[in-house]
Amino acid sequence: MAILIDEKLCNGCGLCDVNCPGDLIFMDEGTQKPKVLYPEECWYCGACRMDCPKDCIKIVFPLTSL
Amino acid sequence: MNLKNNNFNENVVNVDVLVIGGGSAGTMAALAARRQGLDVALVDKAGIDRSGCGAAGNDHFLAVLDTGPDWDTNEAFMTWYHRLTQGLVDMNIPPKVYLSRIKNLLKYLEELGVPMREDTENDAYIRTGSFGQPGEYFINFDGRNLKPTISKEAKKIGVKFFRRINIVDLLVNETGVIGAVGFDIRKGDFYVFLAKATIVATGNVTRFYNNQASMPYNSWHSPYNNGGAQAMAFRAGAEIKNMEFVNYTLTPVNFSASALNAIVGMGGYIVNGLGERFLFKYHEKGEKGPRWIMPWGVYWELKEGRGPCYFDLRHLSEEDLNHLINNLLPVDKNTFLDYCEQKGVDVRNDLMEVQISEGQLPAFLGSVSGINITPECETTIPGLFAGGACTVAVGSLSGSMCVGDTAGEEAAKYVLSGGGGRLEISPETVQGMKQSIFKHLANMDGLKPCELEEKLRQVMTLYVGIGRSKMGLEAAQAELNKLGNLLITAKTENLHELMRLFEFRDLLEVSKAVVRGALEREESRFGISHYRGDFPESRKEWHCSLHQKLEKGQIILKRVEPYNL
Repeated sequence: MAILIDEKLCNGCGLCDVNCPGDLIFMDEGTQKPKVLYPEECWYCGACRMDCPKDCIKIVFPLTSL
Repeated sequence: MNLKNNNFNENVVNVDVLVIGGGSAGTMAALAARRQGLDVALVDKAGIDRSGCGAAGNDHFLAVLDTGPDWDTNEAFMTWYHRLTQGLVDMNIPPKVYLSRIKNLLKYLEELGVPMREDTENDAYIRTGSFGQPGEYFINFDGRNLKPTISKEAKKIGVKFFRRINIVDLLVNETGVIGAVGFDIRKGDFYVFLAKATIVATGNVTRFYNNQASMPYNSWHSPYNNGGAQAMAFRAGAEIKNMEFVNYTLTPVNFSASALNAIVGMGGYIVNGLGERFLFKYHEKGEKGPRWIMPWGVYWELKEGRGPCYFDLRHLSEEDLNHLINNLLPVDKNTFLDYCEQKGVDVRNDLMEVQISEGQLPAFLGSVSGINITPECETTIPGLFAGGACTVAVGSLSGSMCVGDTAGEEAAKYVLSGGGGRLEISPETVQGMKQSIFKHLANMDGLKPCELEEKLRQVMTLYVGIGRSKMGLEAAQAELNKLGNLLITAKTENLHELMRLFEFRDLLEVSKAVVRGALEREESRFGISHYRGDFPESRKEWHCSLHQKLEKGQIILKRVEPYNL
């Protein structure tokens, strides 16, 4: 939840990992794709998707925040 | 990587100026100091390109431009700002840190290509007013790329970036502040920064009050701002002031997003469950009144059974609605329209339910709490400067950037004129600091940072939230002291948690200062910011600032008369 990354579209550039101000997204050394390790610590700011060259990140609000 | 053996690399970095906090203010400070030809380190626990409250954007840029009308002058701004802050901000500060540089900052950002002129047809600024301003001080702008733009400039002119370094404490010797220590949150390396001047600029304080949706990181301003500057400065002996005034705003229900400025600035209404525009009961200017009046009004409407309350935009013109929906709401909070879509709210046609946000300390315009600084951005400790929202100066994005700029410039002057303490610290002291950080990775028992933090929020919300009393505040003091003891044995599984633990440590420090101030200030002021049920009125003898500092382990309190124009 929180940050959904479409792995098929993702090119593994790592910008979302660099840009996330909360240290939530980590590049997986094996797959070379980003993984959201701490979704419950998300600010819902959108910084991860703003510079994404593949536009493959979707922000999903949990039920309690709607 | 074995995290238990404490066997991390050590790095010692010597610079002229150390800037702690890589948000908008810190980056401006680094730029200003570097322009004087100094060696500058900019350190942030995140990536710097998009760090701080402005990570993903901002839509309002406070500016006084002298375009003709009376309100657009320095004099009118000062009169208004003095009234807004009730004299609790040193009125010598705004001319020096803000009014003298705002036009240059605007010009600089336009030269860098930041889109400031939303009226593209006429190549003109769109300006709106809110929060009791005498005119339209807020340029509506597209700040989505502001932060990466200034970060790039800082990099270009040779500021040294230290990304993902979490600063834990300042280094202090008998000559003053001489740097700071921290650790790399991904690799674990230990860092010692030695600097002739140190600037703290880590913004405001969030995550120490319960969030209405029970999601602590779903906060109005950045949840990764945890009072590092205020706590570190306080521990080093610097003065902080008016910490008891916790700030609230109105946000969409369950989503603590900035929106209020855009909505009231465009002429939106706030209505109660009976459909009434009720704010005039609480302030003559209604929705155009100061920010604190809005949560104050909503608080009483809810309490007295006239809730829920809503933003009502249905009367706005098509053109104004388009501007709000296209240029403001999703620029200030990139995910705003995702929330609307997923919740099923149509801003044009539906009422949008609002809530009182979780409490936080400053960042917005008119706040009076934080590190006490001079107009030169010096703290009360030699070698330590402060800039941005952690200071009591001029808030909001552009205010913070100007204060950061001042801090950088003045720190550089200090260094160039031979200032700076003796950059020596005993190896034992440094090793002790290192040990006290990494020991938490080896602790087998003890509580986790998230458990401690949950308890902190519970205590602060219960006893130090909206509606305070002597008994409640004393209960909070006892609970916070217990948390201080539990912190010593806290355990962390990895470096990310270790960062969260030190965030908790700073939150606890700030919370204690809030409680101490709230207990001392036997009156009520700024609505729900500080509402003592046992002293429900503002009192003349308390029309003053309350300063706190630490001296030999004791808190020293001082009352300071309000400033006149």
